[in-house]
Amino acid sequence: MRKIFVIALREYRTAVRTKSFIISLLLVPVLMGGSLAVSILTEDKVDTADRKYVVIDHSQLFSEAIQQSVKQRNESELFKPGTQEKIRPSYYVEFVTPDSSDLLKQKHDLSEKVRSKELAGFLEIGGNVLHPDNDLSNAYVRFYSESSFLDEAGNWFSGPINNHLRQLRMQELNLSPDSVKELFYYAGIENMGLLKVDEASGDIQDAEKSSPVQSLLIPYILVMLMFMLGIMGATPLITAVMEEKMEKIAEVLLATVTPAQFMAGKVLGSACVSLTTAGIYIVAGIITAQQFGVGAMIPYNLVAWFFIYLIFFLVMSGSVFTALGAACNDNKDAQNVSFPAIMPMILPLFVIMPVLKNPIGGLATWLSLFPPFTPMLMITRLATPVTIPVWQPVAGLAGVIIFTALTVWAGSRIFRAGILMQGQKPTLNNLVKYIFKG
Amino acid sequence: MEIIELRQVTKSFGQVTAVKELDLKVPAGTIYGFIGPNGSGKTTTIRMIMNIFFPDEGTIHVRGKQHESSRLERVGYLPEDRGLYKKMKVKDVLKFIGDLKNTGNIRSEIEYWLKKLDLYDRADKKVETLSKGMTQKLQFIATVIDRPEIIILDEPFSGLDPVNAEILKESLLELQKNGATVIFSTHDMNMAEKMCDYIFMIHKGKKVLDGTLHNIQDEYGNDTIRLQTELGTDALTGVRGIEKINDYGQIQELRLRQGTETQEILAEVMKKSRILKFEVTRPSLHDIFIRIAAPDRKEENYA
Repeated sequence: MRKIFVIALREYRTAVRTKSFIISLLLVPVLMGGSLAVSILTEDKVDTADRKYVVIDHSQLFSEAIQQSVKQRNESELFKPGTQEKIRPSYYVEFVTPDSSDLLKQKHDLSEKVRSKELAGFLEIGGNVLHPDNDLSNAYVRFYSESSFLDEAGNWFSGPINNHLRQLRMQELNLSPDSVKELFYYAGIENMGLLKVDEASGDIQDAEKSSPVQSLLIPYILVMLMFMLGIMGATPLITAVMEEKMEKIAEVLLATVTPAQFMAGKVLGSACVSLTTAGIYIVAGIITAQQFGVGAMIPYNLVAWFFIYLIFFLVMSGSVFTALGAACNDNKDAQNVSFPAIMPMILPLFVIMPVLKNPIGGLATWLSLFPPFTPMLMITRLATPVTIPVWQPVAGLAGVIIFTALTVWAGSRIFRAGILMQGQKPTLNNLVKYIFKG
Repeated sequence: MEIIELRQVTKSFGQVTAVKELDLKVPAGTIYGFIGPNGSGKTTTIRMIMNIFFPDEGTIHVRGKQHESSRLERVGYLPEDRGLYKKMKVKDVLKFIGDLKNTGNIRSEIEYWLKKLDLYDRADKKVETLSKGMTQKLQFIATVIDRPEIIILDEPFSGLDPVNAEILKESLLELQKNGATVIFSTHDMNMAEKMCDYIFMIHKGKKVLDGTLHNIQDEYGNDTIRLQTELGTDALTGVRGIEKINDYGQIQELRLRQGTETQEILAEVMKKSRILKFEVTRPSLHDIFIRIAAPDRKEENYA
């Protein structure tokens, strides 16, 4: 055991003292925080150049209403309140008569004007938009632009068009707007969590509002953190071990330690590096969340589960990568085996969204009980506000422990055979041979 | 008492038998030299003793105990291919190896050996900055840092200049004097002759020589003449009874055919040239090595 610690300590010291460790430690929050900061900083940096739109109004109902709304918008919504800073573009709208002889050509000509930046886009309002029941096919409102899905003008035009439609329909029914004001009150649903009993006082606590942070962001952050720690900790082991093999360091060490001790030391050292990173991120995350007053959203009860699963995840993946490194002879070998070795880490990411949408569904449950996926998927499920049956994380952990033991055993067999073997490619056949025949 | 004993040890790699039915007994406190052509099986034998390779057949006993899966304690090993962490500092790499070997007084041992092998001023330098010879000396220190009972060195003198080779030799003799058993493989027959109590030669995976230099030379008898004449090899042209001439320029070493009288050779050479030196002797280890290995120069890899 002492020899394992000596090797692990060297691995750990070598890794944490490098610039790349410090850089990678800072890089993730910088990248994550940086993208957030960039989006905040660039929030107001929109293109404020004037935009001209054309409306083909088959119904001939909207000219006045839209022009009025555009005028109002240009007068009151373009500048940051209390400043002269323009934060939105002015809209200018021109109504054209529909060309009934060749509407398609008319729309194509307008499209060309959009492409040449003469126009920002154009709208087409169907002739039966006021009474859709009469002819639904002509009750459309279409917005054409180069990226109509992202262009906020489309959404904006929807407001004056629908308000005007509402007014026209009320007029036809002889209703005054004041008398039917409540008709348009939309009762939105508040998403709530479940009520629970306060463990200290025994009182029932009212439910808290469910937020996307709790439902999506926290599970997502945890699973990405685990994935990233696995990639950071385990994948460099392939090249590190391969270099030790090719530079004959392994032979020197194997005179003093057994292959199993050597491998265990490497895996332990690398796991400790990842755990250090995890510890720093988790503590920094908790402090930051508390500073911003959202500390209550952090699922503190998950921290223990996270670290337990993380440890096995790191040992499991570390053993695989160390063993493969021992079987490699050059960088080409290492590249060839890296991708299949990373796949068990990447595959859980593909199913994150279905798992988040239904954490207690069959897919989420069974995939999270498949040992190679358990650490990442079980922690994802546990991090959602949904209650996961207690037996599942326990059963998952048992599976992970058994699978990790098997991985370590197979890994040490491959390591034992491969570390001094020269010229043998790390093919599946050879790896299987190393495991069962040594 | 034998500190290492190999009994009928065989090791194959695929179709190639690297070591075949090898018996070897290494007495405690001796210096045992392993010689043999390249690829003859020396390194494989050493790796099996070190428990890095397992023999396919036979047993290996170290200190009277058969070892199979446990790591050897208090055995220093210098592999043929040197390997140390290049980015580590000299003293750090020695500390690391010393810690692995559970060396007591590690700091004083590091200081002692660095001074002894003239590397003390390099203690804070990275391994990658050292010359080949310095790296080799550092690797040697790493091997003996815990003052092991058994020291196994695979070609320790290769690549060393005479000064460094002498320092290494003195260090080994000091360790032996303090009770260590030393095994080393070498292609330097001169060094093997001078240093080794016992010499073992392996050829094509089989033991072909084993014993003291004296015993080995006895097997070959007094069939060698060292000769110096004014005419050099020209004085030997047409002289009967000579099986082989090793020409060293100033001196020629003659191996005689069986039954040839040395006086006959002397008489014939005297007729042709003035003789400056004439010595009847036993064959050198170098000559014995050549006699065994030279008939079949086609090199096969048994290492």
